[in-house]
Amino acid sequence: MNSILFLENPILRRELFTRLRSPKTFLAILSVAILSSLLVLLRWPSDATIDLISQGSLQVFRPVAFALAVAVMMLIPAFPATALVSERRRGTLSLLLNSPTTPFHIYLGKFAGNVLLAFIIFSACLPALAGCYAMGGISLVDHIGPLLLVLFGMAVQYTAVGLWVSVLVNSADASLRWTYATVLALAVLSIGPTVFVGKLTGIKSLLAHWMTAISPISALQAITGSQAQAGEIGISTSWIEFLGVSLVITVFLAVFTLIQLDPRLLERARPTGKVVGRTRSVKPFGGWFRRVSYLVDPQRTKASIPWWLNPVMVKEFRTRKFGRLHWLLRLIAVSGIVSLLLTVVAATGTVSWGVDRIAPTMVLLQVALLLLLGPCLGANLIAAEVESGGWELLRASPISPLRILVGKLMSTIWTLLLMLLATLPGYLVMGYIQPAMSGQVGNVLISLVIAVFMVTTLSACISAFCRTTAVATATSYAVLLTLFAGTLLIWVARGKPFGPLLVERALLLNPAAAALAEMKTPGFELYRLTPDSWYVGAGISFVCLAILTARIWRMTRPN
Amino acid sequence: MSEHVVETKSLSKHYGDFIALDELSIHVDRGQILGFIGPNGAGKTTTIKILVGLSRPTSGTAFIAGVNCSENASKIKRLVGYMPDQFGSYDNMRVHEYLDFFGAIFGLKRRDRCKRIADVMELTDTTYMQDKFVESLSHGMQQRVGIARTLLHDPEVLILDEPANGLDPKARIDMRQLLLRLASEGKTLIVTSHILPELARICNTVAIVSGGKVRAFGPLDEVMRSLCPLRSYEVQLAMPEQLDRASEILGKILKSTEPITLSRTERVLRFPTVRSENEIAHVLRGLVADHISVSQFREVTSDLEDAFLSISADNASTPNAADRIDVGAGLAAT
Repeated sequence: MNSILFLENPILRRELFTRLRSPKTFLAILSVAILSSLLVLLRWPSDATIDLISQGSLQVFRPVAFALAVAVMMLIPAFPATALVSERRRGTLSLLLNSPTTPFHIYLGKFAGNVLLAFIIFSACLPALAGCYAMGGISLVDHIGPLLLVLFGMAVQYTAVGLWVSVLVNSADASLRWTYATVLALAVLSIGPTVFVGKLTGIKSLLAHWMTAISPISALQAITGSQAQAGEIGISTSWIEFLGVSLVITVFLAVFTLIQLDPRLLERARPTGKVVGRTRSVKPFGGWFRRVSYLVDPQRTKASIPWWLNPVMVKEFRTRKFGRLHWLLRLIAVSGIVSLLLTVVAATGTVSWGVDRIAPTMVLLQVALLLLLGPCLGANLIAAEVESGGWELLRASPISPLRILVGKLMSTIWTLLLMLLATLPGYLVMGYIQPAMSGQVGNVLISLVIAVFMVTTLSACISAFCRTTAVATATSYAVLLTLFAGTLLIWVARGKPFGPLLVERALLLNPAAAALAEMKTPGFELYRLTPDSWYVGAGISFVCLAILTARIWRMTRPN
Repeated sequence: MSEHVVETKSLSKHYGDFIALDELSIHVDRGQILGFIGPNGAGKTTTIKILVGLSRPTSGTAFIAGVNCSENASKIKRLVGYMPDQFGSYDNMRVHEYLDFFGAIFGLKRRDRCKRIADVMELTDTTYMQDKFVESLSHGMQQRVGIARTLLHDPEVLILDEPANGLDPKARIDMRQLLLRLASEGKTLIVTSHILPELARICNTVAIVSGGKVRAFGPLDEVMRSLCPLRSYEVQLAMPEQLDRASEILGKILKSTEPITLSRTERVLRFPTVRSENEIAHVLRGLVADHISVSQFREVTSDLEDAFLSISADNASTPNAADRIDVGAGLAAT
């Protein structure tokens, strides 16, 4: 295809130009430009000595590189994740597929539109990268070029993931949830076998090596000159390997998406629902099998909502696939098993890690799960209701704004608290192994509960100001990751240029950091974050709750 | 004596410079069905939103069963069953759970709710779909579930925005019978629809709005008479070669203000007229006397569509027209 035809693709033009005209895109570009420049300015050396081994410039370059990678992970998957599913739900995908435009052109338009947009957003960091280059010690060939290529590889890979998930699922919020979960799995969990299992040999070692190459972490470590830290946890893949694996994943996902982008395959009927409880003709074996595999039979007739339960909360649980009791129980079971496994691994000495290393891992896994599910659940609360037309029905009913608010918030808070509760056995075993840790475990749990409230109220607050679930979810992810990962970036830059006081104040915003400090995680042991971090977290939650209450009250009033 | 269950008095709604509603005054009595019609953007939804307490008027008042809609919105919500044009579906929710949720938010006690859900499902013929997922239902099925939802709290007034939209002919007949049954049970209904022949079959009263103003309001037959004073007649001939001669004869009898339309394929001549029955008989006699073989001579009754089109045509030619036709119930034309 020649370049003129490529640029004349109407879908590409619509996707790209519509987004470029949006004030939100302008805001995203501006944010990337300001934040990357600010990072360079903050880390700019102020002493008059000459840095012969160019460590100073790398110290400037490193946070910029990681901040950009986090920005790509936060911003890029949201749009492709809703691209096809939204078109299908609106019925416009059928129109496109019934036009002379081929599925390949539709895919290409959406794919290229998102990748070009990502490229435009990256271009905003060029002044910051030029600053690093001007400092000396940073080369175009070894640092800036590979970094841009890795960012490009990430954008390509995550766009392909988003479009693939988008063609498979039935709703925008499910698509967002699965896309972010897949991105997290590709970027972080893929290094799991190497990091957690340790030394492997033979084919297992080869598989673990290529799995590690899926993640950009190792590539970024190599580019930013942090191979020593990467080697410590056993990851040692180059950025070229990352690009190669990204290309393979992208091609594979593109082919799979194109196969699915067939009108006959897309015309799949939604399951109309099957209930076993209303009639007595239940097959004994089928019923028993379902009971064991689901714990709670999903096909059983649901009881009427009792007076002591908030109907809005029950509705929220019932309308979420993962909110249904059988899914929730599985999730809790998995959380419990993982936490116990980690503790058993520490106790039996299978790996050379002690409780002091397992505990932070558990905290990080919990926070990761919280950050993965929390924004999705919270951002759905109001925006999805408005989008589906259900809000108009709630407004036309006599239910009070306070009851709506409580029902919606509790549906998310209960889910997240239950997940935290599931890890309690792990902590109890830890307390049994090291009784001195009981107090610390208590403080960690308080910090995590504060984190649950922060995540819920912040994302619900954002949701109340958005008209679509996709925008609410993407914004929630961006804000929460900025709060949780951004403060950790400041912590990474401790000593230069940020003094201990500033780092401590920044970490006060992050309840996960408070939990890590309680567990005396290396690098956090100097900071005393509790109970101040709890007050800050509670304060943020309270402010968000106040804004949310006012907004819901306003939204239920007559126009 | 009739009782106004729904009443609006000089209802106006302004969005900045845009006037969505302009001094709208209508009323509906108990057990009546008001057909609320008008082109897109006429102000129907704005009126409905004010009536259900979702919007406040800039001026004027609206009452339902004596309760002020803008001052006592919470009371209004219990008096009104509102079905918006957008269904408001929830994912992963079965029809029974969906109705149970709305029953719960309307504060129905659990035992009463179960019985009420069974009753409304039977009434709307949705019992067989109680275990199906709401979003998997066809549009017509969803409309019926929507009506079931509005009936859950046994409201006095039902406001239905396009209830017949997307229904197949059988479902449309069922819907018509359901609405008539609800009216016969003493419910007051306000129904908007673009399917005017359908609406004409059920409503007793009609309000035609355009540009935020009520253009016609009153009992259906009287509105029809007021808006379509010219009766239309059709003469069908047995022999097509007589069409020109018959047209000539009619032209001599009728005046130039009564234009004759000729359809050769149908062998039909049409003319509008205000003549009395005797004068019309004179026209037929004239044709027969001249040996025209008339196979049919009949009046073509005007329908709601004609009335609506006549209003729309008037409105298009004079967009600022302030004329309103109030008929019946002691209201004088203004």
